Amino acid sequence: MTFDMSLLVPAIGFGIIAGSTLSVAAVGFTLQFSVTGVFNLAYASVMAVSMFVALWFTQLGLNVWLTLPLAGLAASVLSVALNLGVIAPLVRRGIPMTGMVIATIAASLVIANLLLAVVRPGFSTYGTTQPTVYRFLGQIITSTQLQLLAISIGLMILVRLILVGTRLGKSMRAVASNEDLARSCGVNSPLVINLTWALSGFLGGVSAVIIGMSVSVFSTTTAQSFLVLILAAAILGGIGNPYGAMVGALTLGIAAELLAVVFAPQWKDVLALVVVIAVLLIRPQGIFAQFSEAT
Amino acid sequence: MLSQATEFYVGTLLILYLVTLVGALGLNLQFGTTGIWNFGFAVSIGAGGYASSILALGAPTESSPQEYLFGASLPFPFPWAAGFIAGAIVSLGMGAVSMRRLRGDYQAIVLLLISVIATRLVQNQKSLFNGNRGLGLIPQPLRTAVDSSLAYQRLYLLVVAAVAVVTLILVRRITESPMGRVLRAVRDNPDAADAFGKNPFRARQYAMAIGGGLGGLSGAMLSSYITGWSPESWVMLTTFVLFTGVILGGPGNAWGVVAGIVFVPIGFRELTRLLPEVGYPGLVEALSLAAIGLLLLIALWLRPSGVLPERSVKYIRGAGRSSFALRARASRFSRQQKQTTPHRIGAEIDG
Repeated sequence: MTFDMSLLVPAIGFGIIAGSTLSVAAVGFTLQFSVTGVFNLAYASVMAVSMFVALWFTQLGLNVWLTLPLAGLAASVLSVALNLGVIAPLVRRGIPMTGMVIATIAASLVIANLLLAVVRPGFSTYGTTQPTVYRFLGQIITSTQLQLLAISIGLMILVRLILVGTRLGKSMRAVASNEDLARSCGVNSPLVINLTWALSGFLGGVSAVIIGMSVSVFSTTTAQSFLVLILAAAILGGIGNPYGAMVGALTLGIAAELLAVVFAPQWKDVLALVVVIAVLLIRPQGIFAQFSEAT
Repeated sequence: MLSQATEFYVGTLLILYLVTLVGALGLNLQFGTTGIWNFGFAVSIGAGGYASSILALGAPTESSPQEYLFGASLPFPFPWAAGFIAGAIVSLGMGAVSMRRLRGDYQAIVLLLISVIATRLVQNQKSLFNGNRGLGLIPQPLRTAVDSSLAYQRLYLLVVAAVAVVTLILVRRITESPMGRVLRAVRDNPDAADAFGKNPFRARQYAMAIGGGLGGLSGAMLSSYITGWSPESWVMLTTFVLFTGVILGGPGNAWGVVAGIVFVPIGFRELTRLLPEVGYPGLVEALSLAAIGLLLLIALWLRPSGVLPERSVKYIRGAGRSSFALRARASRFSRQQKQTTPHRIGAEIDG
């Protein structure tokens, strides 16, 4: 297993970039699980839809950067619709939480395949202009990557501000902690849950466009292939903990890139997942969880 | 009588049904009876198919176009037996990784992750099982016993039917036995079962082993029939389609599975095949997959207990519904308890 030492630093750099791309989605995912209790495996298909909504806007002539909030909005709306139409009714029906995972998989099948039916198989691109390239410590980085990194960090700060500074954030934390108690304290739990779906959808939608720009060429299944990594990042950080999700995503990104240097690049995904499982075996609650659920 | 082509078509359909049934009964043992949401079930199917194939193909040589780990030319029924064993071992392994220290949702997701790892591993490492192309030209069992294709298909159908019947009997015997009670207890209330001295982990591993073995056997039988096996044969969707069939039919109830598999995947797949190819190629397939998702949502909504609910266990008075629905009802009230939840962000920020 020989490798080029000089590749290590760029690997970390790539890892940070990949990780930050992942982290927005991971935070959205874990936030929603935390507040609503549903492992939403349809997250990726909603992301896929917003990728193509953004594409549609760019085809109308809009600058791709401006499509970010629009895609986020579209994903928000779709997420709330998903909750109102599918998830909430089934939960009221009494489906156990683990059963809801199957429901979200089913919903994801519907959404992803309807998208495929409309968009048709094939590859698309946002067609961004040539970015300026910088060199830094042996690392090649483009201005696009830096901008995406900045946007990701900005969104993370935004989430933190919402959670800590606003009343909505407080309500979300209350519902996440104990829904019944929150309700008896006057928190409008269904509204908070819907707003959480909207927020996590927004994060997912924006991250989808970020991913689309990072990989340059994407298809309807691109988002789905990221779902596993998003899942892994969220679980690694301690599911339900948005800050854990950020760290988890970064860790995963860096670990994957480093391992790709040591082993061969095609093993990147596999090794990332193995890392997650290894961590879970040692510390089942994830990196940041405070309460141990292991039995 | 039916024309030869029609008979061949119906025969193929029946074989596919019976082969799927064996696998579904295995999944039902894990999920319906023991409550394990094994999202990695397809890996056992895949392992069984590969094991059976390489033991029928013969040892790989320098000149063979396919690469695989090792092989032998064993006669029937050894490849199928190997398929069962491979499926059992794989499921046991997955169970050991995911079930010792994790609970509920976590288990399911980890099993899903393992399934993805397995798929990527096989795809990337060609030397294992010929990568994405998979194995082909697999010798069919007992092919030399008869001459014509039609006669062979009838023979195959007979053999597979016998296996399915034996499987059904076996599964019923397990679920009706004291072990079945332990499995259901572990499903419904693992802590109580533990308190009564029944080790939940061992019980689950028992279900994983036998259920996984049946999955492997199903893979072996399918790979032998279509004389090929590749990662496409055991994708995540396979697990999910099986889940749909089991949930539709009634989890926990073997006869329910018998009924459920008729609809999904068999009935559904054939129905969509009969549809004309409208629009562009792939449109019908995409729409039919969307329809499967919709079907499952409707099934979950209408009958959480499935078409044929589990027969009520006598010592729960007034139950009369499958424990799936029982837990569903109970969970409506105990949703707040959320046994499987890890900590919440509230605690982490304030505490």
